Amino acid sequence: MTRRSLRPLAVGAAVAAPVFVGVGYAAGASIGMWGVGAGDALDPRRFVRVLASPVTLESTLWTLRVAFISTLLSAVVAAALAIALRRADRVGRWGRALAVLPLPIPHLVAAVAALLILGQSGLLARVAFALGAISGPAEMPPLVFDRGGVGMTIALLWKEIPFLFLVAASVLATRGEALEEAARRLGASEWDVLRRVTWPTLWRGLLPASVAVFTFVVGSWEVAVLLAPSDPLALPLLTWERYIDSDLSRRPDAFVLALLGVSIAAVAVVAHELATRRPADTRGTAR
Amino acid sequence: MRRRVLLVGLAIWSLTPLALLAVVSVAGGWRFPTLLGDDPGLAAWRSLGGGALGHATSTSLALGIGTGVGAAAVGLLAGRALARERGGPRTLGLIFAFLPVATPPLLLGIGLQFTFLRLGLGGTAAGVWLAHLVPAIGYTTLYFVAVFTSWDFGIERAARQLGATRRQTLVRVIAPLLRRPLAEAALLGFLVSWAQVPLTLLVGQGRVRSLTIEVLSLVQAGQDGLAAAGALVLLLPPLLLIALATWGVREAEVVVA
Repeated sequence: MTRRSLRPLAVGAAVAAPVFVGVGYAAGASIGMWGVGAGDALDPRRFVRVLASPVTLESTLWTLRVAFISTLLSAVVAAALAIALRRADRVGRWGRALAVLPLPIPHLVAAVAALLILGQSGLLARVAFALGAISGPAEMPPLVFDRGGVGMTIALLWKEIPFLFLVAASVLATRGEALEEAARRLGASEWDVLRRVTWPTLWRGLLPASVAVFTFVVGSWEVAVLLAPSDPLALPLLTWERYIDSDLSRRPDAFVLALLGVSIAAVAVVAHELATRRPADTRGTAR
Repeated sequence: MRRRVLLVGLAIWSLTPLALLAVVSVAGGWRFPTLLGDDPGLAAWRSLGGGALGHATSTSLALGIGTGVGAAAVGLLAGRALARERGGPRTLGLIFAFLPVATPPLLLGIGLQFTFLRLGLGGTAAGVWLAHLVPAIGYTTLYFVAVFTSWDFGIERAARQLGATRRQTLVRVIAPLLRRPLAEAALLGFLVSWAQVPLTLLVGQGRVRSLTIEVLSLVQAGQDGLAAAGALVLLLPPLLLIALATWGVREAEVVVA
């Protein structure tokens, strides 16, 4: 391999260097090589202890569940909206503008608004009180800090649907229309076109973006800190709690959890690459 | 009819959170069960002129502008280098460049905090700026890879063959073509910094009070009015971005027409 051909590798590595430094430090600190809580001897067993603990397991499963449900619902709603709003009439134009509106808004703002709407004494509770459905905040079903993660899921849907809608609309505009027209000319009914052309095109196009959304949601701290329950703790919150633990001997646990989070992100990066390539490969095979 | 109902539903879904923030920011106390507030006024907004919220806004603006400029410059060089090559090393290089984007900021902050402390950057605005640059450069690099993948490098070669020096090619050929992508990349970098929470908290150690940190503290302290006003200020640059992007698309349509 020539120096020139290695240049992109070196450039990519330079951009990712802080991640490598961070992961390297976390790896060393997680076994007590350095950092707060480091002892006289290395403790590789900490990895097993932390990863196998019920708290970590419950936290990871809860986080993955909320991320999976949020991503799946976001993708389904985004796809349905992209189909419903594809016409270039006034409803389509206004609908598309409204659908993408939350896209650039910071997640923290979405979480603050969700807290004000869904909280025990939030807007929904006030409307329910005004309508006589409840007599006080205590009667309002908990929608934030709840074990089901309902409030967190709703806030994430508000934030992630616009991104996936944008991708879905773009997929339909660039790849869908010609294929749908071809299917119609070949005698397919509207239902067949939707089932056999539109939907497969959409889900293949949405897959890479959905992987990106899933990864983001798993690592999202600011939404979790305002809306997630304290039992079980979302993985980013558990990592944070261990990192600022007053018991210094528990702080290295945070680095193990950070590495767990990075591993989930790394798996998602590989999945993202594979998902990005699949449509091209499929097209190649078809030819 | 069904599409009109959908439109109304979308309007309620997308606009209610923003409208509520506006109401709470002028409610002057938003105690249960009132819907519009106890003592409406602009007290929360006046605190933006000075005080913690105003100071935090200035800090966020400075960090955002610095991050936008730095990330656009570095992203341009990295993206160009990555886009010019083909094959395995490029794919691996792209995966590497994607890592700062994919790594959750909290985990990045936990891994980097000690290094920043050793360098004397912990709890400083310069340290937070450098930390914000990490994900921002990831985003701008990927952005410029997309720009340069469809870039016609033949224009540069033609300029050189016609006698332009390397500097003249850069200033008179490349720079004018890159003005718009550079501005967009700088905006992207600005927004990445503008919305950061855990990286700022970890590297800034609570001493660098950006607007996001201030809003988080206010909402956790139950200061709904101030938090809502701060949250609305956090909305302004992203909404400006949408306006600029819409304007840019219209301008492009005019050029095409």
